[in-house]
Amino acid sequence: MELLQYALRKLLAGIPLVLGVTFISFLLMVYFGPDQTYELLGKNPTPEQIEQVRKELGYDKPFAARYGDYLREIVTLDFGYSNKTGQRVSDVLARTVPISLALVAPGFVLGNMLGIALALLAAYHRGGWVDKLIMGGAVFGMSISFLIVVIACQIIFCSSYGLDLFPVRGWRMDTLGDYARYVTVPTIATVFVALGYNTRFYRAVIVEEMTRDHVRTAMAYGTPPARLLYRNILKNSLIPIITRIMFSIPLVVISGSLIIESYFGIPGVGKVTFDAITSGDQPVLKAVVGLTAVLFVLTLLVTDILYRAVDPRVTLK
Amino acid sequence: MSSASPVADVATAPTEGRRSLWSKALYKFTRDRLGMGALAVVLLYGVIAAGAAAGLWGQDWAALSDATWAAASADHWFGTNRIGQDIFARALYSTRTAFEVGFVVAIASTIVGALLGAAAGFFSGSWIDEIVLWLMGVLDSIPFYLFVAAIAYAMKGSPFGMHVAMVATFWTITGRLVRGEVIKLKGQEFVEAARAIGVPRLVIIGRHILPNTFHILLVQATIVFVAAIKSEVILSFLGLGVKDSVSWGLMIAEAANEVQNGHFNNFIWASVFLFGLVMAFNLFSDALQDALDPRQVA
Repeated sequence: MELLQYALRKLLAGIPLVLGVTFISFLLMVYFGPDQTYELLGKNPTPEQIEQVRKELGYDKPFAARYGDYLREIVTLDFGYSNKTGQRVSDVLARTVPISLALVAPGFVLGNMLGIALALLAAYHRGGWVDKLIMGGAVFGMSISFLIVVIACQIIFCSSYGLDLFPVRGWRMDTLGDYARYVTVPTIATVFVALGYNTRFYRAVIVEEMTRDHVRTAMAYGTPPARLLYRNILKNSLIPIITRIMFSIPLVVISGSLIIESYFGIPGVGKVTFDAITSGDQPVLKAVVGLTAVLFVLTLLVTDILYRAVDPRVTLK
Repeated sequence: MSSASPVADVATAPTEGRRSLWSKALYKFTRDRLGMGALAVVLLYGVIAAGAAAGLWGQDWAALSDATWAAASADHWFGTNRIGQDIFARALYSTRTAFEVGFVVAIASTIVGALLGAAAGFFSGSWIDEIVLWLMGVLDSIPFYLFVAAIAYAMKGSPFGMHVAMVATFWTITGRLVRGEVIKLKGQEFVEAARAIGVPRLVIIGRHILPNTFHILLVQATIVFVAAIKSEVILSFLGLGVKDSVSWGLMIAEAANEVQNGHFNNFIWASVFLFGLVMAFNLFSDALQDALDPRQVA
C-alpha cells in the first residue's frame, strides 16, 4: 500500500517531465522540421490540393490544438498512421523495437558486466600494474570514435581484407544461427566502446567503497578476496551502479543504436526515427519521443524501488 | 591564473589558501609527466590548427587533381582521395575544424552551465531551482542524437546548427556539478560574511561563489571539448555536421564507402589524427582533474 502510494506520487511528479520533453520536441518538429506537404503532392498542385493535403497532415490546425492532440495520443497510446509509409505507427514500433533490442541487448549486458569485472580487478590491485594496464586501456578505448570502431570492426570481421567471417550488412533473426551471425560484429563494436567508460565509472565507485572503514575491518579479519569484493564492496556500491545501468535503458530501448543501425543497414527503431526526423514524419517522431519520456518516468520509479531492494536503509518518501 | 584575481580583494576570504590551490595545482600538474606530455601533444595540434586558420598550411584541401586514389608519395604524403584531393592537407585543415567545434561548444556550454547551475544552486529550493532542474531533466530525457539531429535539421542553413545542438545538451552536466558545488559553498562563512555586510546577491554569486567553482569548470570544459569533437564525427557521418569545409568526421564518412573497396588512406589518417587529439586531451583532462581536485580518490 505504501509502495503503491509512493508509485502514484512519483508518476504524478513525472508529468512535468513528459510535458517538457514532448513540448520542446513538438515545437522543434512543427516549426523547424521538414514540411511534408509537397512530398505528398504531385507536380503543379492546385491551391485546393495543397489545402487538402495540409488538412490531412493536420498542419492547418493551431499549434495548441495539435499539441493537445499529441497529449491525447500519448494517454491513449494511439499515434495514428505514418505520414510517409501509411503504416500504423504502433505496427512500425512493434516491428522495429524488438530488432533494436535484440541488437543492443547483448552488447549492453556484456559491456556492463565486463566493465564491473575489470573495475573490480583494477580497484583490487589499485596502484599496481594491473590497475594501470586496465585504466590505460580504458582511456584508449574512450579515445576512439565509435564510428572508427564500427568501420574497423567491419573491415576486420566482415571484409575480404580481414577475416571475412560475418555478413557485411543486413539483419535476420529467424534462427539462433542467423541471429548470432548478424549480431556478433555490432556487439563487439558496442562492447569495445562502452567498456572504457563503464570501467572508469565503476572503478571510481568501487575505489570509493574500498576506502571505507568496514572494508578495512573485513580485510583485517582475513576475509578472502572474492568474498570481500562481492559481499563487502560490490553489494555496497550497487546504488551508483544501478543508477547508471537503469538510466541508460530508456535511451537504449527507444533510440536503439542509430550509428550501428545505419552503418550495418539494420531496420531498427533508431534508423526509423532518424529517417522520420529528416523526412518530417511527425506521427512516428511523436510516438518515439513521447514513449521515451514516459519510459524515463517509469525508470525513475523502478530505480527508486530497486534502491530500496538493495539497501534497506533507503526509505521511499 | 588571471581567473583567480577577482577573489583577491574579498574581505573575509582566505586569500592565501585561495592562491595556493592554483599554485599547488600548477606544481602538481607540472610534475605529472603523462599530463605534461599530453599537454604538449594538445599544443602541437593547437599549432597545426592555428597555422591552418592563419593560412600557413593545409589551404589546398579542396584542390582537385588528376591523381585519384594516389598512394602516399613525396607530393601527397598521405595519398589522395576519390577526386584527387590531398589527404594530408585535408587532415591538417580538419584540425582547425576540430578546434573550432571544440572551443565554441566547450566555452559556450561551460558559460551556460555555470550561470544556470549557479542560479539554481544559490536559490536552491526556490522556483528558479525548480525550473532549471526541470529543464535539465527534460534535455537529458531526449535521446541525444535525435535531439541533435532535430536542431541541426532546424538550423540547416546555418553552419552553427551542430554547435547549438551540442551546447543545448552538454551544459546540463556542468550545470548539475556547479549547482551541487554552489549549494555547498553558499553555506560557508565567507558567503555568510559577505551577506552580513550587505553585498548584493548577484555580486556574491559573481565574485565570491562562481570563482570558487573555476576548478570544476576548467575540468568540465576539457571534457566537453573532447565530447564535442567526438560528436562532430558522428554528426558529419549522419550528414548533419560540418558543411562547406572539411573535418575528420567528413573524411571518415567518405571512407565508410571506400574501405570495402580497399581504399584505406582517408580512413586511416583521419582516424589517427582524431585518435591522437582525443587521447591526448583525455589524458590532459585527467591530469588536470588530479591536480585541481585534491579530494578525488585516484
